[in-house]
Amino acid sequence: MRRLLLICAVWASLAASAAAQDTDQAGPIPVTGNAPTFCTVGGLQGTDNVFDLGILIDTTTGLLSQSLSAPPKTMAGAFCNAGSTISITATSIEAQTLTGAPPNGYSDEVDFTATASGWTTSPAVFATGSGANPQSSQTRGTPFSGNIIVSIDDFETAGGSALRMLADPVYRGSITLTLTTTN
Amino acid sequence: MSFRLATLSLLTALSISGAARAQTTQDFDVVATIPSVCALEAPTLSGGPSINFRGLNGTTLEVDQLTDPRTLATRAASARVTFAAVCSFPHTLVLESESNGLWRGIGASAPSGFADAVPYDAELTWGPVRERLRADAISRRINQLNVTVDEAVAGEIIVDLGIQAGASNARANAPLIAGSYQDTIRITLEPQ
Repeated sequence: MRRLLLICAVWASLAASAAAQDTDQAGPIPVTGNAPTFCTVGGLQGTDNVFDLGILIDTTTGLLSQSLSAPPKTMAGAFCNAGSTISITATSIEAQTLTGAPPNGYSDEVDFTATASGWTTSPAVFATGSGANPQSSQTRGTPFSGNIIVSIDDFETAGGSALRMLADPVYRGSITLTLTTTN
Repeated sequence: MSFRLATLSLLTALSISGAARAQTTQDFDVVATIPSVCALEAPTLSGGPSINFRGLNGTTLEVDQLTDPRTLATRAASARVTFAAVCSFPHTLVLESESNGLWRGIGASAPSGFADAVPYDAELTWGPVRERLRADAISRRINQLNVTVDEAVAGEIIVDLGIQAGASNARANAPLIAGSYQDTIRITLEPQ
């Protein structure tokens, strides 16, 4: 009789446990996610990131050449999953070896205009000779993917077109392209 | 239960801060070069009226009347010849007289009492430089003026030629023996 009571007690305990499992609930568990804003300027096509202008001057006059050019660069597969701003900045092309101010009649610096097109209706444009460049940043309100074309033109002798250019084996300038989400 | 929710919240926070890439950039270089270059253009006659020179015929500058018709002594003459030029680096300018004066062409030497060469001066102006080449006609030889210019210069090389009245390689006012007198002047711009 004593054993019977013990067994009953165990059964009762199990029964109680089973009854509790039927009524418990794990949830509702909220499932949330987040798609962060993301931009990439894409991959640079071609062999390098260098605009090589060659010889800057007309060697018969010493003045800045009027036929300077370099092939544009393509950033392939750029995309932003939200609205974005494309910006371009640049520094003038300066002699890297020469020091001190150029003598009268000479210059050691060339201004130019850098343009990033293909992303916004109006391209982003930066002129190194301008004090202000309000067109250097352009915004689009929608996500987008495509190629960005970066080009340079409008070369001008800093200080005036009548100045001749000083010899230097290396003249160098730079361009920075930036793509940023707006939200 | 509360432990599970806390864990989910943490994962969400990590996904926001770890994956967002809201800005990317690409840099480009713009490179070029300017070699050391000197350029010299054709001569022109300028700087006011020349005296007793006919003018430039190509690159030949011809004296109108080398002698006084009465005395046969040298007549004075002067002219300014300019060359548009540019050197984009420190350089050397060489002004050369091929014969060191105006010399009569090939032939026997001048008989006594006559002269067969005429001296002249060539005054050079180029940027910061002002120098003089004296072609004294004492001997027939190459005579050079070498000028070191330690800066880039652009503008005009000016050569003022002057022949003094009565000048010769004999005594003053000696009569010139008949013939054609000439010299060749060369201007060279070259690296130092």
